[in-house]
Amino acid sequence: MALVAAFCLAALAMVYLSYALPRLLPGDFVTAMYGSSQVTLSEAQEAELRAYYTGDRGGFGSYIIRLACLDWGYSYVFLSPVSQLFFEALPWTLLLVGLAHLISLVVGFFAGVEVAWRRSTVLERGMVSGMTVLEGVPEISTGILLLLIFSLNLGWFPSAGAETAYADLSMVDRIAGVMHHLVLPLVTLVLAYLPGNFLLTRNSMVMVIKAQYMITARAKGLSPCRVRYAHGARNALLPLVTRFGLRLAFMITGALVVERIYAYPGLGTLLFNAIQARDLPVIQGVVLISSLMVLAVILSLEFVYRIIDPRIDHARAF
Amino acid sequence: MHVRFRETSLKDPLFMTGIGLAVIFMVISLLGPFLAPFDPWDMSFVPISPPSETHYLGVNDGGQDIFSELLYAVRNTMLFGFISAFAALGIGVILGASAGWFGGFVDMIVMRIADVLLAVPAIMILIFAAAFFRPTPWTLALILAGFMWPTISKGIRAQTLSLRQSLHVRAAVQMGGGGFYIIRRHLIPEMFPLYLIGLAAKAKMAMFMEASLGFLGLLDPTRKSLGLMINYALNFYYMDVWWNWLMPPILCLSFMIVSVTFLAISLERILDPRLRAALSGRTP
Repeated sequence: MALVAAFCLAALAMVYLSYALPRLLPGDFVTAMYGSSQVTLSEAQEAELRAYYTGDRGGFGSYIIRLACLDWGYSYVFLSPVSQLFFEALPWTLLLVGLAHLISLVVGFFAGVEVAWRRSTVLERGMVSGMTVLEGVPEISTGILLLLIFSLNLGWFPSAGAETAYADLSMVDRIAGVMHHLVLPLVTLVLAYLPGNFLLTRNSMVMVIKAQYMITARAKGLSPCRVRYAHGARNALLPLVTRFGLRLAFMITGALVVERIYAYPGLGTLLFNAIQARDLPVIQGVVLISSLMVLAVILSLEFVYRIIDPRIDHARAF
Repeated sequence: MHVRFRETSLKDPLFMTGIGLAVIFMVISLLGPFLAPFDPWDMSFVPISPPSETHYLGVNDGGQDIFSELLYAVRNTMLFGFISAFAALGIGVILGASAGWFGGFVDMIVMRIADVLLAVPAIMILIFAAAFFRPTPWTLALILAGFMWPTISKGIRAQTLSLRQSLHVRAAVQMGGGGFYIIRRHLIPEMFPLYLIGLAAKAKMAMFMEASLGFLGLLDPTRKSLGLMINYALNFYYMDVWWNWLMPPILCLSFMIVSVTFLAISLERILDPRLRAALSGRTP
């Protein structure tokens, strides 16, 4: 399993970078925090701050152990452990980004297959051109437009947050509130992810339809639905999954931006607030852990390909 | 890879729209400093004044002319995109052609590194670098290029593998041409169409990244950037300035990215005959 080894090496390299780079800085967190500000520290104050924040923390070995023990440092600005901040924000990001990927994969796949089946119709032309335009519009633009129209002008959806603050609600009302807050960020992300999935499925399905086994399947007298999905779409699914792995690392960017636009309390907003306040331990923790999570997702996708297409074991596609 | 580029491209509406928009933004970014009526760092105007004869798009909260800011911001975003895309293309072509030509150990190492780099979220590394070291935008563009070359080099490698078998390359080998000579003299010029597709795709990614980094507040705040303008304007959405302050950078950014997206998609279908049947949208 050369690939697993390569991914483990990459993960280790990232951990080492996050350990070594801040130590390469001239000075440390204290000078980075106060060096460019208006505050002038006396020698004693500086020594005290340094002892309070950094202390003597040992080498790379103890860094890894502390990482594994969820001891990721202490936030200067939010005054709480980084791990606590991280795990408070993580569920919201997973809910938003996971749901957006799920919806856009399912809708993009079925729409792509159906549209490829109805080749050369007005519906197909319209869908393909619409999706091509949408593919070019970045999340920043769709996000802000939706925010201006549906939240600030029409007032249909809340403009910030993930649930109604300080409200004592029943379970059902609470879930409804969460869904209500989720709509706009979710729609923005789906609009960003959907066109890629749709166009990819449609393009590979158009090639699949011409294959001889499709003619065979039809000649056997199978129902159109069975021909379309059991024989055709399964082969169009593979590029979708392969490309998903390739695109995921870049799609993270959009999720960060969308969370910031709607002030959704996920990792993106946490990271944004940390950047604004130059809260270096939080930036370091969130960046490292979320990159490791993306690495893990992409590595596990490698095994999904093998289930969808057994041929990959013999020759790696691409 | 012979294609009748002129005939097919002129008939392609996507390509024409893409190239038209690209030319407009090229002109804006080349002539920006001459077109701008004011110095975009000049803070001597009345803050948050509406559009007028002298200030076409009004003045922002810092007393700077928004129209001049916009011209400089478009220029910076374009430049960032192109530097990053060209660097990624250069690395990707050289490494991809070497991996495909030499094979064996070189191939394994380059492709393994490519696999791993594809899995690492570039934005996270950029945020890390920008927050800790505050590098110049050009350094960030080059770091980003370091994460964008793998997709290019995979395509180039696949093409190199098929070109290896072609007659003229085998003739060059017979004449005693060395590896680097053949890569430079035969492989690299031969694959030119692939570079255009890669360039457009990577420029799109890089412009999007630049806007996002600016929007998240990670770029130099004195440098004009579309993302930064959107970020500042969003703080004043309640003041009825959205149409003259928030909209222009959003529209510029969208049209710029739409333009390179159209170019990438249409070039792929014009230059890659295998795909033409699949992509054209009508039965051949």
